[in-house]
Amino acid sequence: MKWLFPRPSTCVWCGRPAPGHDFCSACRQQLKGWQEFYRPCLYCGRLLPKEGEKICGHCRQKPPPFTMARAAGPYQGLLKEMIWAFKYQGRLSLAAPLGRLLAQVVVAEMGSWRPELVVPVPLTPGRLKARSFNQAELLGRSLAAELGLAFDGSIISRTKETAPQINLSREKRWQNLAGAFQITVPEKTKGRRLLLVDDVLTTGATACACTGVLMKGGTTGVAVVTLATGIEKSFYFST
Amino acid sequence: MLLSYAPRFCWRGFVYLVWGDRGLKVGLSHKPGLDHAFWLRKGYRHFALLTPPLPLGTAFFLQEYLRRHLSGSAGPSFTVVRNLLNKARARLGLPPGPFTVTPFPEALPAPPPLELALVRKILSGRILWLEEIEEALAESKMGVTTPLEDILHWLYLAGQAEVIPGVGYGDDGEPRCRRCGQTTRLLTVACAACGSSDCLICEKCLTMGQSRRCRPLYARPAEERRLEVKALRQVEPRLKYELSPAQRDAYQEAAEFVLKGRDKECLLWAACGAGKTEVACGPIAAALGLGKTVLYACPRREVVRELQVRLRSFWPELEVLALYGGSTGKYGRADITLATTHQALRFYRRFDLVILDEVDAFPLSEDPMLYYAVERARREDGQILFMTATPPPALVARAKGRRIKVIYLPARHHGRPLPEPEVLRDPFLAPPGAGPLPRLLIACLEQTMAERARLLIFVPAVRLVDEVVTWLLRERSGEETCRVWVRGVTASHPQRDEVIDAFRRGDFPVLVATTVMERGITIPRLNVLVLYADEERVFTENALIQMAGRAGRAASYPKGRVWFLARRVSPAMAAARYRIREFNSMARRRGYLVEGKE
Repeated sequence: MKWLFPRPSTCVWCGRPAPGHDFCSACRQQLKGWQEFYRPCLYCGRLLPKEGEKICGHCRQKPPPFTMARAAGPYQGLLKEMIWAFKYQGRLSLAAPLGRLLAQVVVAEMGSWRPELVVPVPLTPGRLKARSFNQAELLGRSLAAELGLAFDGSIISRTKETAPQINLSREKRWQNLAGAFQITVPEKTKGRRLLLVDDVLTTGATACACTGVLMKGGTTGVAVVTLATGIEKSFYFST
Repeated sequence: MLLSYAPRFCWRGFVYLVWGDRGLKVGLSHKPGLDHAFWLRKGYRHFALLTPPLPLGTAFFLQEYLRRHLSGSAGPSFTVVRNLLNKARARLGLPPGPFTVTPFPEALPAPPPLELALVRKILSGRILWLEEIEEALAESKMGVTTPLEDILHWLYLAGQAEVIPGVGYGDDGEPRCRRCGQTTRLLTVACAACGSSDCLICEKCLTMGQSRRCRPLYARPAEERRLEVKALRQVEPRLKYELSPAQRDAYQEAAEFVLKGRDKECLLWAACGAGKTEVACGPIAAALGLGKTVLYACPRREVVRELQVRLRSFWPELEVLALYGGSTGKYGRADITLATTHQALRFYRRFDLVILDEVDAFPLSEDPMLYYAVERARREDGQILFMTATPPPALVARAKGRRIKVIYLPARHHGRPLPEPEVLRDPFLAPPGAGPLPRLLIACLEQTMAERARLLIFVPAVRLVDEVVTWLLRERSGEETCRVWVRGVTASHPQRDEVIDAFRRGDFPVLVATTVMERGITIPRLNVLVLYADEERVFTENALIQMAGRAGRAASYPKGRVWFLARRVSPAMAAARYRIREFNSMARRRGYLVEGKE
């Protein structure tokens, strides 16, 4: 009967009709609207005005250790609401569609740089118990399944209980994460290109810290993909 | 902001049997040592754990199944028990489990009586997660030294609290959220907190915290039977103005509904703008006079906040508590509790009288969970008073079939009849922008301008708001009168409140809106035009009645006009007009209207 009378597919966010897609056309439009005005920094993926420089000020001063980072959009509007619902309210049905959104980003932005293994940014055991899920792991699983890549959630562990990054300044975030990660199975990463998955990249401190330990473990290269990233502030100062 | 990282308590435990001279009991426990101590005190000497540690939802179902089938047994036959467990597991779609009968661990000391009493009091009349009970304890500046889950388990053993899985199973083995009552939108997920790889989570009531198969809800009906009977001086509301005859009669009738206590449910069916809140003071005063507890629930938090101010002015001596998302002091006690219907999810068999306002308004009309919540908040012998101008079809059917007591409030305070909608048929009515403005629409505009009134135009879709505004401005720029004479507003309009306030002040005369303006808005000197009124998916009978109800509310302009402009007369339009006429003739029959007395 389901074959004869298929259920109309609806948007996973707002419930409006979205045949053949995870999100309806209105939500898709909102999720992609930023592309008209911004483009990602070639290194860290933070969003820069379309008509300006291709590399942000931070990366010009000190390039990040990862090959590149890319995101599905800026941390605002609908994407921000979705991340809140997913991460803090536990609306876990968003994991699969958001993971597929990340897969689209990987295909569009990293086409020639083919990752071999997907690795999520880990949580500390305490925070994992409190939240009951690791949002990066759920995203990574969905992304890996979509792209047919291998996934391993146990390669890096978070050894230090750190304060939530959200409340900290840029400098404090780097200090907060010093020595927070360690690699558990170096032989799995040696000589491989890894794709590191997280929900939000703001200053890039977490991604840099994870990349650092992975590179020490012999990884060939690390690319980072997140749902959201920041808009480069210098843009606001210059306009 | 949900940024707390306290570890979450996930219940995993055993189903067990205890038996002795007094018969056999089936139980469940996360810490069997406690149960050992409890049952020894009750004279039971034989103990057996039947299952490995299970998530609460599963353990609860197995326990209930065994209890139903083993009640009355003197002692266990383990072959029978194993078969029963396997049958119960099959109901849940699980394979037969390993069956080993293991003895209980050593008895643990019971929690201190003082701590038991404290938690019992905190939980009274509520259904809460462990974390919420911790919050309630912190709010009352009390604390316990024994693990809270152990105290609650002891209360459960003593029959003084219930332990309910957030997501449990019905008798048929189908999963069901026990917090909001839903059977849909239950998702299988891994739970890193308890290590289960196939936990169930309810996505329907996520805004109130995660309801999962492994999270226990603790519930306890309110024990204190009655509040202190207040002096009559205190329970009589100090209303700001005299009630109209229609209000007085409804007030009296609604008070008698509570005083007699014969009917369990009642519908106060009021005309739009007839002053339901003042009438609701009747049953509230009657309930308070009898020392009963009162919950006034409505769907929107703005209404709750506004009501708190009004009820406090009516009863300055009484404690009025308002609960809504972000309110403080959530676990306090009060004479009158106001709550959004979501917040009512945290009450359990607490109130003698529940007043449910705007019963058909979004989100209540869309969401059976909120009925479930409100129903659970009343005591088993408590009463519910539904109040609305437009009851949902199920309630109308019960009212027509005399299966629920109905009190009518058919007239407005000023005693003028409700404006009856005029149907304007234009068979060539085109979409906005296609051709000139319809002649009938221009006539409505001109009549409104001539009366120096304001016109609220309802359209059936968000995109139509801007299109109609552009259409109106293109055809009539209005440069000679004022710069902007028409604006639009939708639910997601960034300056929604500012636009509505400007319209209310009279800064511009015409506002185009979606159904966001359908209820809860009072604007003086207002005419209403429903454009494309035959769009039945949006303009239902109840929506049309509510829209028509925006006109003629103020005594200074009671004869506001209502127009339904459409290509045809839809059944909903006809029904809305019939319902309004019915109310007017009832008001006329009962002598509530002043039209003939001028």
